[in-house]
Amino acid sequence: MKNCKILFVALIGSILLNACSSDVVEQPKYVPLGSYDSGVIVVNEGTAFHNDASLSYISFDLNTLQNDIFSVVNHPKVLGDTAQSIGFYNQYAYVVLNISNTIEVVNRYTMASVATIATGLNNPRYIVFSNGKGYVTNWGDGTVASDDYVAVIDPTTNVITANIPVAEGPEKIIENAGTLYVAHSGGYNFGNTISVINTANNSVSSILVGDVPNSMQINEGSLWISCGGKPYYATPETAGKLVQINLVNNQLVKAFDFNVATAHPANLSIGDSKLFYTINSDVYSMPTDATTLPTLPKFTVQIPTLYGFAIKNNHIYTSGYTNFDQNGTVNIYSLGTLGNSPIGTLQKTYTVGVGPSGFYFNQ
Amino acid sequence: MTAKKLFLFGMFLLCQVIFAQQDTIVNLKEVIISDTQLKNFSGTQSVLVLTDSVIKKNQPSLTNLLSYNSLIYFKENGLGMVSSPSFRGTTAQQTAVIWNGININSQLNGQTDFNTITTRDFDNITVRAGGGSSIYGSSALGGTVHLNSELRFANQFQNEWQLNYGSFETFGAHYKTMISNGTWSTQISVTHNSSKNDYKYLDTQKHNENGQFENTSLNASLGYRFSKNHYLKYYSQIFDSDRHFSGTIGAVSKSKYRDYNYRNLVEWDWLIGKVTSKLKVAFLGEKYAYFENAHTHNFETSKTETALAKQDFVYQLTPSMLVNTIFEYTQTKGIGSQIGTNTRHIGAATILLKQSVFKSFSYEISGRKEVTSSYASPFLFSFGTKHPLGSHYTLVTNFSRNFRMPTFNDLYWVGLGNPNLKPESSYQGEIGQQLKFKNIAISGTVYYQKIEDLIQWKPNNSGNWSPSNIAKATTYGAEVLCNWNKKIRNHGFDFNANYGYTVSKDDFSNKQLVYVPFHKFNSSLAYSFHKITLNYQYLFTGYVFTSSDNTHVLEEYQVSNLGINYDFGKATTYKLGFQVANLWNKNYQSVSQRPMPGRNFNLYLIFNF
Repeated sequence: MKNCKILFVALIGSILLNACSSDVVEQPKYVPLGSYDSGVIVVNEGTAFHNDASLSYISFDLNTLQNDIFSVVNHPKVLGDTAQSIGFYNQYAYVVLNISNTIEVVNRYTMASVATIATGLNNPRYIVFSNGKGYVTNWGDGTVASDDYVAVIDPTTNVITANIPVAEGPEKIIENAGTLYVAHSGGYNFGNTISVINTANNSVSSILVGDVPNSMQINEGSLWISCGGKPYYATPETAGKLVQINLVNNQLVKAFDFNVATAHPANLSIGDSKLFYTINSDVYSMPTDATTLPTLPKFTVQIPTLYGFAIKNNHIYTSGYTNFDQNGTVNIYSLGTLGNSPIGTLQKTYTVGVGPSGFYFNQ
Repeated sequence: MTAKKLFLFGMFLLCQVIFAQQDTIVNLKEVIISDTQLKNFSGTQSVLVLTDSVIKKNQPSLTNLLSYNSLIYFKENGLGMVSSPSFRGTTAQQTAVIWNGININSQLNGQTDFNTITTRDFDNITVRAGGGSSIYGSSALGGTVHLNSELRFANQFQNEWQLNYGSFETFGAHYKTMISNGTWSTQISVTHNSSKNDYKYLDTQKHNENGQFENTSLNASLGYRFSKNHYLKYYSQIFDSDRHFSGTIGAVSKSKYRDYNYRNLVEWDWLIGKVTSKLKVAFLGEKYAYFENAHTHNFETSKTETALAKQDFVYQLTPSMLVNTIFEYTQTKGIGSQIGTNTRHIGAATILLKQSVFKSFSYEISGRKEVTSSYASPFLFSFGTKHPLGSHYTLVTNFSRNFRMPTFNDLYWVGLGNPNLKPESSYQGEIGQQLKFKNIAISGTVYYQKIEDLIQWKPNNSGNWSPSNIAKATTYGAEVLCNWNKKIRNHGFDFNANYGYTVSKDDFSNKQLVYVPFHKFNSSLAYSFHKITLNYQYLFTGYVFTSSDNTHVLEEYQVSNLGINYDFGKATTYKLGFQVANLWNKNYQSVSQRPMPGRNFNLYLIFNF
């Protein structure tokens, strides 16, 4: 009886508390740094449907880390759901948010929100700029093969002015002298082509490469493409391929086939005049004039699941996670250039946001 | 007399049988339920019965009923969307839903979506806390939720209409007819619910886009009595639902989901002397279709079909000793765009024994062994004791081993599934104390459970997603259930309060599992005076972690509902009711980034004739 009296009082109390309580105004956890140049912006995807995409900033001297910089500057606004990539244009950074179907335009130096592009995007992935226009790859509905396109953005108005239909699953996009190269990883399926778009008239042609082209680099007149091959859950799983294309005539120069079906190269990068790529957490490098693929990795990234990889100056930037739903890790390694620590020497490690997947260098 | 009737009818969350020693779920002799183990072998565990009158007064989803009336915690992806339970800190697949004695958790994903069960279809819904695998098989780790249909063999012809209309164009209609005599018993009901569900997200300019849903269910129970000792029974249910999946604050969704479930059970009961034989044959099916874009015709679909045969013998060896054996065989075929075509066969033998040794000591033992080619199944058992000490106090203990089998998705998902999975298994112990006086009942239970071989989907170092038996968890906690009711002349009072403290830790990281609140409290107060009934419900859900490193938190919330109803009827019931949900207009989320509605209203009419 007494116990129930106490509970009864608790109940009545709760009614009153409920009616009277007011919300406490939340303060930003950090003060904006003021300037986010001379460093790398890390894209933290967040977990799908959690609306917890974020950006982190790491200065080039590795001494400064600030997480959640978009929210710190633009509080209470949040970035959105599943940040996919960033493209820089003049003083702006265009942050592509895949599940939100938006692009958040911010000042790349102050992180102040400038505009949100919320119409005309459907599963947007990557963005590149050419001759004063932005080009965004879009999967459309993942289960539909025929509704994929590259959206053209006028950055003076931040409005989509045209759509260029392309093959299924347009992913990474890169620009060279008015020509766009779009890698068709295939969306929910598996692609094996590169679309070549002439921005003068938006005409599209296609180059057959290997299965699932997942990253591209331009180096000394060549377009290099890593093709991951079909993954472990495909039937059949296929080995990856490294492809070199001549940018003058868009013809194949050479291709290297990986010899085991479970080898799925990714994260093609260029540093110290060499090509770098990863297989699982292993980092490989080779000269651009090599005739065979390297057999041994240079080093292994000490993160359970490697998710992001880039090279800048004397550093190799890597990111990943232990559990997909929790804060991720950035490890920065030495590139091993002359006069520095040997390649693969860990320089610094940071805890960043959820699902860190990409590095964007903000000079 | 009328006052008493009203009092009984009107009390909001009344009639909760908190006490496990109340073996008789229904005390009317002619009322029969199919789930006899629930009646006979739940004496050493905590059992909460929600009767028809409680069901009627709550919203028609099982999520809503149990959120406010039990200690099961739910995460709901927005109102009416996918709803997953966590019972005693366990995962969504570790609560079994039992329809008329048959386990109906999805064979595809292992759990029941509690927003795909319409409560109005059932005569009573019982929550049995703690291990139940040795009786009900897979998934009974946290506890079991029993959906029971009753058959009456007495002369009656009764009809019932219930109509409701509320905010967000929410509409519900329920019709039930019961026709029976000494030989035949028929109960048929149809329920339809629909809602535009476009509520505003409080403190934003946004609203719940693409959240509309509708569902229809048909329920039938038929019984034929050849003689006092010889029955044939048939239970059937069809549930058909079309739900758009609402998005989050950050992303509007355009997807939708269709569910279709059917359940059929034929039962032939024969009593010969001290032996009761029950032969049961059941056919169950589930099918879903997921549309990434509701405006197109592209969808992904899977279905399973299950056939089950069960022979159940009960021997009343002596007046104080009952033995029950069950032999069963289940075949499930799964077909889907992502799971291929696979068939699973499971044979199971169960023995249960109950004995009252002294007046102050009785025990229950059960053991079950399943045999299947799909996975290695552990020996399941339960041992419980009950010590009534004096007329007001009872001490119960229970120790059990339970399991959860891998699902079709876990085993067969194209390219990702792992055919070598073991079942999840656990040991669980609990001690309960129950105090009962004339108007007040309090029970308290402490429990401890070790769960091994938890199946988790995770990427490996190549980013490849796959399920494996990698995790172990320890859950422990305490539950207090309290009921007080009192009638003073024409004033009726009924008060319920439940509190649960739950710790659920990953053994490797020592972190609390995501979406398990440490604290959950709910309470309700009903007051009736003549033909008016007032009721107030309150729910407190403590903060939860939304990331496994416990760095991301979803805040606690408190929600209250207020209801009032008036009975215009004299000989028949003709009741008009009005409910205000989320009375204080709290902005809260059950799942991160998926706001729940603010204050909303519901008007209902119940008509019995």
